[in-house]
Amino acid sequence: METGIRILLLSVVLALSGCASIRNWLDRDEPKEDTSAQADTQADTDDASQAPPRVIEPEVARRKIKVPRIDTENIEVGGVFGALSVEDFGTNPVYGFTAAYHVTEDFFFQAEAGRTTAGKTSFETLGGNVTLLTGNQRQFTYYNLALGYNFLPGEVFLGRNLTMTSGFYLLGGIGSVDFAGDQNFAVSFGAGYRVLPTDWLAIHVRMQDRIFNSDLLGEKKLTNNLEANIGLTVFF
Amino acid sequence: MFVTAPYLELHTAPGRGFPITQVVARDESVDILKRQTDWFKVRTARGVEGWASYKDMLSVVLADGTPFTFPMGDRAGFTSHNGEIGVFAGDYSGATLISAYGSYSFNSQMALEVSLGQFLGNASNGTLADVGLIHVFMPEWRFSPFVTLGTGIVHIEPKATLVAPLDRTDQTAYVGGGFRYYLTRRFFARAEYRSQYVFTSRNDNEKVDEWKLGFAFFF
Repeated sequence: METGIRILLLSVVLALSGCASIRNWLDRDEPKEDTSAQADTQADTDDASQAPPRVIEPEVARRKIKVPRIDTENIEVGGVFGALSVEDFGTNPVYGFTAAYHVTEDFFFQAEAGRTTAGKTSFETLGGNVTLLTGNQRQFTYYNLALGYNFLPGEVFLGRNLTMTSGFYLLGGIGSVDFAGDQNFAVSFGAGYRVLPTDWLAIHVRMQDRIFNSDLLGEKKLTNNLEANIGLTVFF
Repeated sequence: MFVTAPYLELHTAPGRGFPITQVVARDESVDILKRQTDWFKVRTARGVEGWASYKDMLSVVLADGTPFTFPMGDRAGFTSHNGEIGVFAGDYSGATLISAYGSYSFNSQMALEVSLGQFLGNASNGTLADVGLIHVFMPEWRFSPFVTLGTGIVHIEPKATLVAPLDRTDQTAYVGGGFRYYLTRRFFARAEYRSQYVFTSRNDNEKVDEWKLGFAFFF
């Protein structure tokens, strides 16, 4: 009977110790978690004690923006070639130079100069040896300062795929004509048509009348000198 | 550059009548390629090119949010600008005068001016070249008076039909005054009188009256 009680007690002791060891074995990680959790709470309290929260300061300097110089294309220069009819002296080839400044989309200032060599009057042709002017005096040189108005701007279509900007413009100006050894004040009126294959290139066709007073053939009269020309200009 | 208006209209060519084929939406960016008169050629982020008017470009901002500014032809430009170019017709001591001038502004009141002219008369023809200073009293007024002072040369060619035709070139000095009147956009009218003294090689100096009226623009 005594041995039976001893065995029972021993088995109880063993079972208890075994259970205790198993419990330790199962919960081996628990203490570690406890310590890290403790550390976290400590860190939190530390941050809170260090007053204002940190502000993020960017290390990028504010960009200073400078607008580059914008390419303005208001100046148009080029050459012209055509025919000028000098009153009483026939029609002859003329070549010239033109420069314009486009002030607004509607108006432009234009300066032009040109030269032709006048032919013979019918009197000279019929009269045989008669010559009214020397070779140098036959040179007809003009310059003109004009205001232009883009009267009918538009577009032209070449086939299905090509569109070009175009415009019909009016010109009126003052200038001078150097002809027959004399310089005369001249007024000019005209109109032109321009087509722009690109933004910077223009083809012109124009007609102008250069009017001035001349007393070359005896009496003083107003002479009309019509010029038709084609021109090629570039914008820059 | 970024669009701040609801949209930016792009025309096919620099002119108010040309069709609008593209629009750039708000907050999209554009690059400026060039400017012709009051039109800006721009390229969008998608590579589309077109022309925007200066009025629409006023609503464009730079990447840092500041507005895009550019010189415009308006009253503020009339008051203060870099330079002027103009053409005159007038009278030079009885002869018809044609002249052109260009000026460079030091500030809104003071400018350096160079003018070239030709006069065509019954008795003689000639050319003029002058350089001088101009002072505008009230540049902010639409109708603003000015005075001018300068020096130059005059080359006179008497007509061959007169006795003893002798070309001569003399130095001149002038003092004058006039008015500028702002018309519209970049244009203004200008009327001017100059009293010119020609320092001849003879005993007496000549005094010549020069009146002219013209048209000019600023830039």
